[in-house]
Amino acid sequence: MSARLSVADVFLQFGGITVLESVSFDVEPSTIFGLVGPNGAGKTSLFNCISGHYKPSAGSVSIDGEDVLPRAPSKLAHIGLARTFQHPALQLHSTVLDNVLLGGHCRLTGGALSWALRPPHIVRQERRIRQQAHETLERLDLDWAAGTMAGELPHALHKRVELCRALLSRPKLLLLDEPAAGLSHSEVEDLIAWLRNLRSEFGLTMIVVEHHMGLISAITDRVAVLNQGRKLMEGTAAEAQRDPRVVEAYLGGEAA
Amino acid sequence: MNRTIFKRRWFRISVIAVLALAAVLAPLELVPYANYQLTMIAVMGVAILGVNIITGYTGQISLGQSAFLGLGAYVTAYGVTEGWPVPLVFLLAAVIPGAVGLLIALPAVRLKGASIAMVTISLPIIADPLAKRLTDITGGSAGITVQWMSAPEWTGLADDQWRYYIVGAIALVFFVLAWNLTRGRIGRAFAIVRDNEAVATSMGISSYKYKVLAFTIASAYGGVAGFLYLAAVQYMSPATLSFIVGINLLAAMIIGGSASIIGSLFGGVFYVFIPVVAGQIDPSHTPIVYGAALLLILFLAPGGVVTLPRVLRRLMGRRTGRQQQPGGGDDQATESSAGKVTS
Repeated sequence: MSARLSVADVFLQFGGITVLESVSFDVEPSTIFGLVGPNGAGKTSLFNCISGHYKPSAGSVSIDGEDVLPRAPSKLAHIGLARTFQHPALQLHSTVLDNVLLGGHCRLTGGALSWALRPPHIVRQERRIRQQAHETLERLDLDWAAGTMAGELPHALHKRVELCRALLSRPKLLLLDEPAAGLSHSEVEDLIAWLRNLRSEFGLTMIVVEHHMGLISAITDRVAVLNQGRKLMEGTAAEAQRDPRVVEAYLGGEAA
Repeated sequence: MNRTIFKRRWFRISVIAVLALAAVLAPLELVPYANYQLTMIAVMGVAILGVNIITGYTGQISLGQSAFLGLGAYVTAYGVTEGWPVPLVFLLAAVIPGAVGLLIALPAVRLKGASIAMVTISLPIIADPLAKRLTDITGGSAGITVQWMSAPEWTGLADDQWRYYIVGAIALVFFVLAWNLTRGRIGRAFAIVRDNEAVATSMGISSYKYKVLAFTIASAYGGVAGFLYLAAVQYMSPATLSFIVGINLLAAMIIGGSASIIGSLFGGVFYVFIPVVAGQIDPSHTPIVYGAALLLILFLAPGGVVTLPRVLRRLMGRRTGRQQQPGGGDDQATESSAGKVTS
């Protein structure tokens, strides 16, 4: 349950504006890769290229050697890609459980007629996926909220519900867009523990966009620093923090 | 906590049991015209349920349901007149409108918001003159009368009673199918296509595919309603597929409750009874009374009749001074279910 991601020479343009310029990096199976950089560096755009929401104007993105760009974005979940969003996108008037169950879509089979008639194998599928949704919620200490409307949960928990939803699809490659934003110190600690567990238990490959350097240092094996659409450097989190170019990009002006 | 749920559950089961018994016994006691009206609630309920699947559950506005109802009714009239077996006629009355709906949906659902509303409203506008011209099949403007679905001798029932049971049973089956469909894998996909297409995509759900699916199912439900309509009324004319009917079906769906199965039945009640009630209040100003009733219901319960108990509970809570939970989950649910249709 792990995937290798390869991003090669990706260019992304919106009209005359170049958002990403010749970005390349590889993510080894079962590793956690961090994408950092100042606001507007192109981190989320790069995410959207990997998840198929944007089509790069040049370059390639492949998962386990398979080129994902020609595929319909809605087919990527079926080859093991899952993501969370920078701004959590939950169905606020549905229960937490129903939100999470959505992640099981690509693992369920059967068309409209089967689901309308509910033969035993469909009933079994639904029961099994509900069981697994509860287990996923339990793993992230959220099972108590299963029956709660998502809109009634504090905002900080929305990201966790999204993470559960992404996990229910049993991804090989998980993209996390600012998972620690808005979390308290202890919540970030919990998140670090869960992400580490997920990797060691399922061998999940993860890419994390994050400003929280504590989280980046704690979980990532490698990071790439983006600035103005270009990759500034790639290395470990510690190397990145020492790199004068990175310091310059964040603070502006001449590096010390 | 557990006890109240338990109590409420038993309360619900007994209410449903009483209602079901009443539904079975009612036609034996009521006058034929009342049976006809109850039958029409089931007929329109199925048509409205179709609108609910495409608009309430999937968020694509359809104003053209009357065209599919009309197609289903004419297919039925043709088949019955030709003497085809009724089960075959029923199948064709569902499949032909479904197939037409599929062909229209393939290009139409690429459009968003108001554009798809315009495409769908054009369907009855095109179907109306078409039905008037194809006189061989439709009987033109004068319409077509088909005498069928009479009560068999052995039942000892009058025709109106027999039709009530047949239409009611078929409607019940289609309500149960819709209930199943809108829960589980397909229903969750419909809802996320309505609420957030970007999330749908990342969950492996093609918005396009599910919009086409919902539109096709809605059209087939329109066709089934057409079959039931001909069974109940024994007559079909182009007036029944006019775009006014299409708009009224959408209005009835919103009144009953968007994205609610039982709401579609309330929508049917509204569709059948409110014009009658409005006519009794003031025969010369029926449309005004109808409009006022529509506004009043939407003002009291923006989420439709199904949300009335929730609204009442909130009002009662306020009167006894009990504070609702901060953030008011009820408020959100009501607002968002009303917003689903407009967004």
